[in-house]
Amino acid sequence: MRQWELLVGEVLAPARGYVELRLEATQALEAEPGQFFMLRAGNLPDTYLPRAFSWYRQDAPRRLSFLFRVEGPGTRELARLRTGDLLQAMGPLGRGFPLPQQPIRAAILGGGVGVPPLWGLAKALLQGGSDVLALIGARAKAHIVGAKEIAALGARVLVATDDGSEGYRGPLTDLLPEEGIDAIYACGPEGMLRRVQQISLADGPPAYLALEAPMACGYGVCMGCVVERAEPPSDQGEYGRWARVCREGPVFAAQEVRL
Amino acid sequence: MTGQAVSFAGLSLKNPVLTASGTFGYGREAAELYDLGLLGGVMVKGVSREPWPGNAPLRVARAPGGMLNAIGLQNPGLEHFLSTDLPFLRRYDTAVVVNVVGHDLQGFVDVVRGVTGQAGVGAVELNISCPNVADGLLFSQDPASARKLVAAARQATDLPLVVKMSPNVTDPVALGLACKEGGADALSAINTLLGMAIDLRRRAPVLGNRTGGLSGPAVKPVGLRIVFDLAAQVGLPVIGMGGIETGSDALEYIMAGASAVAVGTAVFRDPLAPPRIVRELVDELEQHGFESAAQAWAAANPAAKEAAS
Ligand SMILES: Cc1cc2nc3c(=O)[nH]c(=O)nc-3n(C[C@H](O)[C@H](O)[C@H](O)COP(=O)(O)OP(=O)(O)OC[C@H]3O[C@@H](n4cnc5c(N)ncnc54)[C@H](O)[C@@H]3O)c2cc1C
Ligand SMILES: Cc1cc2nc3c(=O)[nH]c(=O)nc-3n(C[C@H](O)[C@H](O)[C@H](O)COP(=O)(O)O)c2cc1C
Ligand code: FES
Repeated sequence: MRQWELLVGEVLAPARGYVELRLEATQALEAEPGQFFMLRAGNLPDTYLPRAFSWYRQDAPRRLSFLFRVEGPGTRELARLRTGDLLQAMGPLGRGFPLPQQPIRAAILGGGVGVPPLWGLAKALLQGGSDVLALIGARAKAHIVGAKEIAALGARVLVATDDGSEGYRGPLTDLLPEEGIDAIYACGPEGMLRRVQQISLADGPPAYLALEAPMACGYGVCMGCVVERAEPPSDQGEYGRWARVCREGPVFAAQEVRL
Repeated sequence: MTGQAVSFAGLSLKNPVLTASGTFGYGREAAELYDLGLLGGVMVKGVSREPWPGNAPLRVARAPGGMLNAIGLQNPGLEHFLSTDLPFLRRYDTAVVVNVVGHDLQGFVDVVRGVTGQAGVGAVELNISCPNVADGLLFSQDPASARKLVAAARQATDLPLVVKMSPNVTDPVALGLACKEGGADALSAINTLLGMAIDLRRRAPVLGNRTGGLSGPAVKPVGLRIVFDLAAQVGLPVIGMGGIETGSDALEYIMAGASAVAVGTAVFRDPLAPPRIVRELVDELEQHGFESAAQAWAAANPAAKEAAS
């Protein structure tokens, strides 16, 4: 982990409500799929704390992009950045997706703002010889992000929308094949993660879930980002009930956490 | 006294910059980034007799010029602190101040006694000012119960005894005086200010605990006012904190009467803030014509001036 000052290159608007910032560093940035950065731009009253974002795309060692949905003051401020502006970043942070030793048949699921970490994951899995089925969910057609970009890497992509305006109409998990999947990787709304967890724990394939939590520090010192452990370590009493999303996560195996 | 070192209340610090309790864990994460020996001291996360789980999420929220937290003093307890965290901190040449919490008087006293006589503990800090647990402000509500607690802790230890003051009281000076009567060696101020944030979408408070503690630059004026009053009217050394982001903020606190300062929330924005503030304070002192922090303190501190006249 270190601090970076990143130069804003292109600013893209890939879907309704979304912004992709393509950034440049003075040195090579190395981050694992599923790891994240704390970003901050400017210093408005409500953006005192940095905000957490998974890295999205990387097309050169010194270039990294982030994809986010405009939600509140932090993301509004980031969305105002223009080419040539500077941005403060800290990272890479946290524990990313575990990658298989051998080629596998992987299903990767992303809903809404859960899509960004899947690009790096798909790329790493494909490079390792795995077969990748990417399931991308969105509210409606206008909100779909990442589907084209992940397909361009060589993954098979299926889309689901809440209103059926593109692809399957209904929950993304309906598109998971019953057979022929060795591992599931998922990032997105809690309902979707809970469903993936259920499928995995009910004799399904192992699953890895990338979680979100409001964060203050992003590197383990504030205890602000906790999630409940499924099986607290026996020697830590009540204290062991929680894991830090920023440090022990953001990626957890399905059996590790209670959602 | 020359250079950066300060010494007060039986505590000797190589420089006047510490890290505030609860924003630094037990030092492990920061030690990956820099040598903790650069710091005057580390005030560790609150330690209770038994492990405490803390509050249910959500535990942090944004606030203008800072943040709200309702962590609820999640900590692994005294035994873990002594067996794991303290030995880790002992490896660094920096003062360790143990922040102590309890549900009742005996809970506080047991931790104070437990850390007394342990190598590497420089002082204890009684946290009677946490707004995020049900009984956190119990001993701040009236001076008499604060005095009783401090006196009991005094009986249990010969370590420098610091008491952390709440800004959520009408009369911090009365509380400080009671702590002095109880046998405190120093005061620290301020803890967080009780506050709240509302989530418009959920139509409910953002935090799981509903209320939380406000910290960061937004609280600096409150911290300065309380440190000024305590230093001038109680007559104990004060460790000042609340919204310190730069060397110049640190010097403001010193001129308000603080003998040393602690950096809290600033480390969330900038993990390297504490060693940066150590450096900036040196420059800042020089710019204002001081040779040391102790000299700046003496020049501006009302209590010191009074004693001299
Ligand atoms: C590991 C990780 C990776 C992430 N990756 C991505 C990513 O790749 N792309 C992406 O788009 N997002 C990502 N997120 C989510 C992102 O961090 C949030 O969307 C961002 O923090 C929102 O900040 P904001 O200031 O824009 O919105 P805020 O308004 O601060 O927060 C959004 C929501 O919380 C409520 N809220 C929170 N605090 C308050 C408050 N004090 N007062 C009132 N309401 C409040 C708001 O109503 C709103 O619903 C990630 C999060 C984590 C933890
Ligand atoms: C996340 C968080 C956790 C804290 N935990 C403790 C604690 O365990 N014990 C304590 O005495 N103070 C605790 N505090 C208060 C700080 O030590 C400090 O007094 C306060 O935040 C003001 O300083 P600042 O504005 O520099 O953060 C905590 C503050 C924050 C933000
Ligand atoms: S965000 Fe501070 S501990 Fe995880």
